[in-house]
Amino acid sequence: MTRLLRRVARALLGVERPAVYYLPWLVRPGLDCVLMLSNLEARFKSGHNAGPFSVRVTQYDAEGRRRGEHRARLERSTDLVEVKLPSSDAAWGFVTVDGDHVHSDLYVTLSDGEAYAVTHGRQEFVERYPIWSRAAMAAIGRVLGGLGRTVPAFVRHQYAYVGAESRSDLLVLNLSNVTNRVRVVTLPSGEVSVLLRIPPMGSYLLDVSRLAPPPARGTRVVPLRLEGNAWFNLYVVGAVGVAERSAPLSLMHVK
Amino acid sequence: MSSSLSALLSATFAEPGYEHLVELIHQRDAAARRHLESLDVAIHDGGGTLIAGRSVDPREEVLDLGKLVGEVLTPGDRAFVLFDARYDERLFPYRPHHYAYLHRTASGDPPLYYAVNATLGGVPDRIGAERLNNFETYLFRARRFDERYSLLLGSVARFADVEARVTCYYGSASTVQTVKLAPKHHTEVVLPVEHEGQPLARVEVKSLFRLTSYVVGRRASTGSLVLFDHLFTYFK
Repeated sequence: MTRLLRRVARALLGVERPAVYYLPWLVRPGLDCVLMLSNLEARFKSGHNAGPFSVRVTQYDAEGRRRGEHRARLERSTDLVEVKLPSSDAAWGFVTVDGDHVHSDLYVTLSDGEAYAVTHGRQEFVERYPIWSRAAMAAIGRVLGGLGRTVPAFVRHQYAYVGAESRSDLLVLNLSNVTNRVRVVTLPSGEVSVLLRIPPMGSYLLDVSRLAPPPARGTRVVPLRLEGNAWFNLYVVGAVGVAERSAPLSLMHVK
Repeated sequence: MSSSLSALLSATFAEPGYEHLVELIHQRDAAARRHLESLDVAIHDGGGTLIAGRSVDPREEVLDLGKLVGEVLTPGDRAFVLFDARYDERLFPYRPHHYAYLHRTASGDPPLYYAVNATLGGVPDRIGAERLNNFETYLFRARRFDERYSLLLGSVARFADVEARVTCYYGSASTVQTVKLAPKHHTEVVLPVEHEGQPLARVEVKSLFRLTSYVVGRRASTGSLVLFDHLFTYFK
């Protein structure tokens, strides 16, 4: 029923859903973020396994601005090209990847120079709203946003971990061309909530200790409900407890 | 227990000294009432011996695996942990997912969050085993880090030994190791970071059926896990 309602709502709003492969990125001083581009999957697809393969990476920042474009060429499906994203101050966002039959399992790594953590991206879609439905959603969003609410068109649940030493922050990605107001609520009480206003194709790095203070010892598990007015997804960012800007981080995909 | 229930056998590895919290289900419906019908946890040592087992209340949301293995393992040991879940397919049309939070206490390293291997069951067309060979791949950064890489492999089989072929690629060269695992045994296969002057670029694992498999990276100076990830299967 919900699925049917969503389909009808999408049709009424004129939403398109072009397929896209995306990966998160995150840089800080002392922390390198490198994309690993390959096309190993093509190796097993007859008719599509002969290179070369061209790959174009478009990098969006937290405000949804195009921060850069990177191009790579893979001569063979087993080739690997590394793209180091420029790191200056703390910044984050996501990249989209277009390429010849590139659909899966590109990696993104975070490194402190001694070791690196890694996760992979997703073949999914972004939502494209026509101008009139963007205007309608902006008006409704402003009204509900003033009340600390949003249109709960999409809902995700995620456990957050807040510990004395470490925590699992969330990188929330707005995969649409409308402003996405994402309300994050702690469960089961719903007493604590924050409303994230994420620009089109932008992202938000949520420090989960804003929602629940860390215990003196051990780790607290905080079930969260996230609801947004447009399509969004999230990555878990493993962080250490200290608030050092250069502290190491890890990234991880979730379903 | 109804025979119409579906089954999923997931597995991971655990070492003492880590906070290791396993989400029994990752999904929650709107009323947050989704749960498994039952969940049994079995902990096996390196020799495949069952050293602990218990039924978990499926209404629990997160299992403290670090505490559980801390009670039965000594520092330096490692356990192969199996999660035998029964569930209603109407609630989990694909399968339930277990995710886990992993952090080495007092290490200063960031925590890791990972998807627990769904080794057996869960998805009907995997049970059918239409293609006998299982083939998984993982890629590595080209430059050298002060990090040691390995594969953690475990067999959930009950009766028969299983062989896995582990191939490491270094530029145009490759090396092959063959690993034999008895039922419920596990092993850590070291992946040399260099061969003939070339860095490790890729590893492939081939076996007759799906093993529990993770790629791990340990900080060379401390042995802390900084990478704990599943490999990638391009055909099933």
